[in-house]
Amino acid sequence: MNRRTVIVGLGLAALTVHLFFDLVGDWGRVSGGVSNLGVFVRESLWPPNWSVLKAQSYPVCEARFEFTCSVAWLGVIETLKIAFVATMLGFVVALPISVMAAGNLSPTYLAVPSRILLAGMRSLPSIIWAVLFVIIFSIGTLAGIFAMTFYTVGYLGKLQFESMEGVKNAPLESAKAMGMSRMETAWLVAIPESANQLLSHVLFMFEYNVRHGTVIGLVGAGGVGLYINTYLKLGQYDKVVALLIVVFLVVLVIDFISMALRSAVNEEGDVERPTWSSIFLPASISSVQHPTPMGATQGLPESE
Amino acid sequence: MNDTVRTGLEMSEPLVHLHDVAVGYDQPLIEEVDVEIQAGDVIAVLGPSGIGKTTLLRTIAGLVKPLSGHVELGVAPRGGVGYIPQRLGLVSNLSVRSNVEMGVRVSLSKWYPPFLGVPKDHQGYAQQAMEDLGIAHLADHPVRILSGGQQRRVATAKTVAQRPKLVLADEFLGELDDDNVDVVMRTVRHAIESQNSAMVMVEHHEELATQVANRIWRIKDHRLVEELTR
Ligand SMILES: Nc1ncnc2c1ncn2[C@@H]1O[C@H](COP(=O)(O)OP(=O)(O)O)[C@@H](O)[C@H]1O
Ligand SMILES: [Mg+2]
Repeated sequence: MNRRTVIVGLGLAALTVHLFFDLVGDWGRVSGGVSNLGVFVRESLWPPNWSVLKAQSYPVCEARFEFTCSVAWLGVIETLKIAFVATMLGFVVALPISVMAAGNLSPTYLAVPSRILLAGMRSLPSIIWAVLFVIIFSIGTLAGIFAMTFYTVGYLGKLQFESMEGVKNAPLESAKAMGMSRMETAWLVAIPESANQLLSHVLFMFEYNVRHGTVIGLVGAGGVGLYINTYLKLGQYDKVVALLIVVFLVVLVIDFISMALRSAVNEEGDVERPTWSSIFLPASISSVQHPTPMGATQGLPESE
Repeated sequence: MNDTVRTGLEMSEPLVHLHDVAVGYDQPLIEEVDVEIQAGDVIAVLGPSGIGKTTLLRTIAGLVKPLSGHVELGVAPRGGVGYIPQRLGLVSNLSVRSNVEMGVRVSLSKWYPPFLGVPKDHQGYAQQAMEDLGIAHLADHPVRILSGGQQRRVATAKTVAQRPKLVLADEFLGELDDDNVDVVMRTVRHAIESQNSAMVMVEHHEELATQVANRIWRIKDHRLVEELTR
């Protein structure tokens, strides 16, 4: 580490500390807040109210397992359905856009507008899309599906075009010299060569959408978030906690399945098999290989 | 200058004509390149590594713009040129057959849907090429699991199935073992002769190259010099 690095590092640290204290300002409220939180946890949050796992009193449950009439089950299943549909729709819409956005497949006059389109869809967080679509379609799953699809297109499209840009040059050049069309090159070279990563991204996106399903549900866009929102409004925080724990467990399970699937897809072994620590720590901490939104860089080893 | 080398050969429209071309990226690597490629030519491009042989090939293939001068192509832009880069340019996740059929595809309309297989009456070219190169039994394997030599045969089969007027091959023979050289070269020769095509191959293996080629281009001091064979 040279001197300039140290100076810049110390400077950034000092700036961060300064801004932090600048932003917080009033420390008196904090000490009061901590004891308030203690009271809140003891009196309203804990223990979780597991009645959310029991069948609702209305409508009358006719299913074989009573559990499947519970708020938790209905909410989670709806969230999973919304996430699945949105991920698939998003994938289908994002694929052609990402071909147009990839600099090695398309000319600049196509790539730049396509990237701007993807960035636009991504720049609004899913919850804002959800508010927008709730206004258009009113409260319900349709708004949830639309919001999530929009966001997925922006997000997945970016991951996809970056993977396609990582495709080796030789097959693309061979295709170009032969006179293959752009559509042929995309379908027969770029997509198969990045298939492992594309699939990996879809699985990651599904996981992500399940997690976000909870959030966008809060504004009325369907799924388990809708129930959480209702309990929040009614002040039944112990039920909220129970539902959050259920969602947490579901996300863990999906994380595990998705990681196992991805390591099966990436037979070259560029995704590590899941370990127990990787399951109980957030994926971003425990797994370096996880395709994070910031930069998904996995690839097949050079095949020579 | 080139005409003296090809005395006795009937002159016709060249497949490619390089008009006073400067080859390179930012700086010129080879200057004043003024050559024609005729049907039936098998040209070996020789010279030390880093001198610009690959760049010359990519310029002919239309992948690099000449710094000055221009490349006149007398062959169809779609399907007319077959290019085998040094790294072969195969799609490693697709089967051998799919790779070889890409060669066939460029003789179809460019609007033929890429997600459909090639039509029945065209599949024969791919099948024949795979049989000629002894890889028919590997047809359904993904290319990535094949050995280096097998992959080289796949790349060759793809180009043979394409039946281009001009074949461009980079460091093609050097990487093959002796058995493969014979099979591959015999098949390629046959394909070129039967189609009345031409081939330009970049080679660092001079001895092999001079056995196979009927013209030699040597790159030296930023110039292309045509040498007499034998
Ligand atoms: N895409 C590129 N951009 C800029 N320079 C390049 C590029 N590719 C190769 N070069 C440089 O051009 C020179 C000639 O390369 P190349 O044509 O591959 O030589 P050869 O095939 O004769 O070994 C080398 O110095 C190489 O570093
Ligand atoms: Mg080279």
